[in-house]
Amino acid sequence: MLRLARRVVFAMGLTGLIATLFRLRGSGGVPPQSGGWREITPSELD
Amino acid sequence: MDIAVIGLGASGSQLARQLAISSVERLSLFDIDARRLRRTTTAVEAIADDATTEVTSGPILDEPVPDVVAIATPVGTQLELARTWLSRGSDVVTTSDDPDEVSGLLELHDEAVEAGRSVVVGAAFVPGLSCVLTRFAADGLDEVEVISVYKAATGGPACARQHHRALKSSGYDWLDGEWVLRRGGSGRDLAWFPDPFGARDCYRGALPSPFLLQPVFPAAQRISARMAATRRDRFTSRLPMLRPPHADGGPGALRVEVRGRRDRAVETIILGVIDHPSVVTGIVAAIVTEEVGSGRVAPGAAGLATWDDPAALLRLLWPRGVRVASFDGTLEAQLSEPAPTISSVIDADLAATD
Repeated sequence: MLRLARRVVFAMGLTGLIATLFRLRGSGGVPPQSGGWREITPSELD
Repeated sequence: MDIAVIGLGASGSQLARQLAISSVERLSLFDIDARRLRRTTTAVEAIADDATTEVTSGPILDEPVPDVVAIATPVGTQLELARTWLSRGSDVVTTSDDPDEVSGLLELHDEAVEAGRSVVVGAAFVPGLSCVLTRFAADGLDEVEVISVYKAATGGPACARQHHRALKSSGYDWLDGEWVLRRGGSGRDLAWFPDPFGARDCYRGALPSPFLLQPVFPAAQRISARMAATRRDRFTSRLPMLRPPHADGGPGALRVEVRGRRDRAVETIILGVIDHPSVVTGIVAAIVTEEVGSGRVAPGAAGLATWDDPAALLRLLWPRGVRVASFDGTLEAQLSEPAPTISSVIDADLAATD
């Protein structure tokens, strides 16, 4: 039982570590939550 | 600048009108349809400045060789005309959207370089403006991975016939370094065009955009093009056109989606336009014709994605009424003031006109 608990804790810790690594090293940023069409103005074309 | 326009259909007549208000010294108009020729010549003469622009017209182009020949004839006739006028020493601007013809026009590259002349391939709505927008979007990225081009609606009757043919014909996608033949009418993809055009189901077909974009973006993993179609369009695409096409199939829309990386982060840039395809084709072709005639385009045969400064071209389109929209994702925190939509801008313009 104790061995099982240790394995669960180890697995969760490892998962957290990998997730943290992805979070810190990932380059995707926060994806847009919503949006819309907007007209491009001439100043944006300079 | 001496310019000739061959083909005065829906797009060609718009092209002639646009050139009439430009700095063209001599504008020659040609069409095999005498009634269409007379109608467009009258309209162009009415808006051209008599002091600076001489307008001539006729059924056959047998006058002195013009500086630039802009071709707006139906697809299937443009390659031969381009070859003829290139050999006579003119620069050539074409508007074809047939993949085979576009490939043939691109093959004129060596001949054009040798002659020191330019052959612009596909100076229309799609391809044409779509290529400019793709280049503009790609210039904002460090590397381009996926390019998707979507179009909806058509210009004049000749454009509608080509649209009908394209939907039933197979077309090529660029996929992981090789051309892959795809069945026309397959690959449904719901594309959102600028408001108020909205969403349309789009399908594969015989579209030329991948051929024009791949040489410019050889490292892209995927380049594809799709066209909007209804269930009825798909069902009847294998049949002859059951009724004559409309005089003008607009308003239409285009959407360009470019995915790539900027500062190592994945980024997607989405640009779109809604307008009458025949009108925009006329405007794009006219501006490109002027640029070619001014000697600002390098010799060779290429599409508009090779344009060095796409933003400059878009700035030239702006005063003529071509508006480009960008689909911007927005974080919730930035949503307190909604971005203006095209429809609201059009409504505001209409209110101002009234």
